[in-house]
Amino acid sequence: MPTASLVCEGFRGQAATTATGLGLPGLPTALVPGHVDVQSADELRQNVAAVTVDAVIRNLTEAPARVGAAVVEPAPGDVVFEGTLDEVNRFFYENDWSDGLPIVPPTPDRVAEFLRFCDRPGETSLGVLLPDRRHATIWNVAVNGVMAGCRPEYMPILVALVEAMADPRYGVEHSGNTPGAETLIILNGPLIKELGFNYEQGALRDGVQANTTIGRFWRLYLRNVAGFLHHRTDKGTFGNTWRVVLAENEDALRRIGWSTIAEDEGVLAGNAVTISRYTGGGVIASVFGSTPQRMLPYLADAIVTKVGWELLFTVGMGVGSQRPLLILSPILAETLAKGGLDKAQLKERLFALARVPAAKLERYVGEWTNLVPGRPTLTGLVKAGQIPAVFAESDDPERLVPIVCRAEDLMIAVSGDPLRTNAYAFAHNGILGYPTTKPIRLPAEWPRLLREARAR
Amino acid sequence: MLGGIQDREADRMIGSNGREIYRVVWPRGAGTVKAADVAPRLSTLEGKTIGQLWDDLFRGDEIFPILEEELGRRFPSVRFVRYDTFGSTHGRDEQRVLAELPARLKELNVDAVISGMAC
Repeated sequence: MPTASLVCEGFRGQAATTATGLGLPGLPTALVPGHVDVQSADELRQNVAAVTVDAVIRNLTEAPARVGAAVVEPAPGDVVFEGTLDEVNRFFYENDWSDGLPIVPPTPDRVAEFLRFCDRPGETSLGVLLPDRRHATIWNVAVNGVMAGCRPEYMPILVALVEAMADPRYGVEHSGNTPGAETLIILNGPLIKELGFNYEQGALRDGVQANTTIGRFWRLYLRNVAGFLHHRTDKGTFGNTWRVVLAENEDALRRIGWSTIAEDEGVLAGNAVTISRYTGGGVIASVFGSTPQRMLPYLADAIVTKVGWELLFTVGMGVGSQRPLLILSPILAETLAKGGLDKAQLKERLFALARVPAAKLERYVGEWTNLVPGRPTLTGLVKAGQIPAVFAESDDPERLVPIVCRAEDLMIAVSGDPLRTNAYAFAHNGILGYPTTKPIRLPAEWPRLLREARAR
Repeated sequence: MLGGIQDREADRMIGSNGREIYRVVWPRGAGTVKAADVAPRLSTLEGKTIGQLWDDLFRGDEIFPILEEELGRRFPSVRFVRYDTFGSTHGRDEQRVLAELPARLKELNVDAVISGMAC
């Protein structure tokens, strides 16, 4: 069917590359000049009438120019280059296959070392990833793991991460959206200790091989297999550097009887990864108090202050998909537990306290951003049955309403310096990177393979 | 089989300058899509039905009415099926909306589509 796709000026490149990924390289688009959000109503009308209308007519009535033949690509496993370390790095960088840091050359023997830590054949497909619609396979997981500087024994984690990336619930296709959110990987299970992850001081800092290189692997894989590239499919206005893996302090969790993030998300035993995209976050310094009553107002306030336009994912286009993450240091979690709170109770208390005036929430998703069409009120959305009744318990515009739809939408992890009273809160990107947890499958010979790996 | 046959000696060589030479493999994945031509275009918009698809973002609710007005002026018998007939193409229900789209377009006798907003 003939189509005209309305594309603002800044999105023409992404439109072209995305269309190619969809198998329609000649897909015509109709330009909407500039960015519509900074135009007056008159300017918008003038631009659409003067430019867009003619383009729409051409899109629908004129055959687009034929696009040249597709580039013939190597096959998986093909040796694509021979050279010194410097030459390999230059070749990969010039082909957009590297992030600009030096890579470990993915030679067939190094890749084979990684494949030993997986019971499935290299050609096993883990899914097809947008926007390039390429096969994610055990093989290219290993190749990118080598490049990122991972150790071969990280391979089971890398495979689970790509299984999570390919899960439609996560929404990898949104990874190039303009707010530029970045994924945080959370690791649970015995692998934290077996593979030497840092889960204490500096838990979110680079510097520990397992945490750091797996974080780098994530973005290399987004680049090389999903196909997110600067100035093309990646439209993050600012973006972020990839995040290192957050490993939970499961000793602390066990001491206080709290569940892990993976358990909260339904993977009840063993090793697991959880991925989720966060727009940003920040530290909550020096939480003071010896009781939940003293500590919770500050923690709740901190979560509220980190979540602004992202409330769109609470009451707007992604209703009920806002999942803020609070990371507590072990001493904070232990103090809250000593005060009688289990994790579910803590979430209920934070749900009750982390509130924002209704009028402000409406401004975030309406007046200030225009992200919800028609600028409906919370009361109107409740009446329409689109959001829970808690958002309209009165008509007072200054009434306090929650920042998530349900207490269990709040996520709470425990990690970081065990004896510091700091916490960290992340604002979440809703359906554009929804929390997705996958179990990690270890190869049958894992104990032996791990022993050998440690001996190397 | 990928990774099944290795010539490990051949993966590392020493170049004439004494530096190690690496044979490296492609880091990407096989594509799954074969490029296709776009659908044949219409000869005119006169008498045609145009469906509007909107992702509920970036002022589509202002832009589609302008397009309707301007296209209607040039092609008086063109007809439109409004975006709210289909539901938002982005957000919580997007997978369902997109899955239902081919049948809905057929059912509504739509001849062409204008889709927005990429911004």
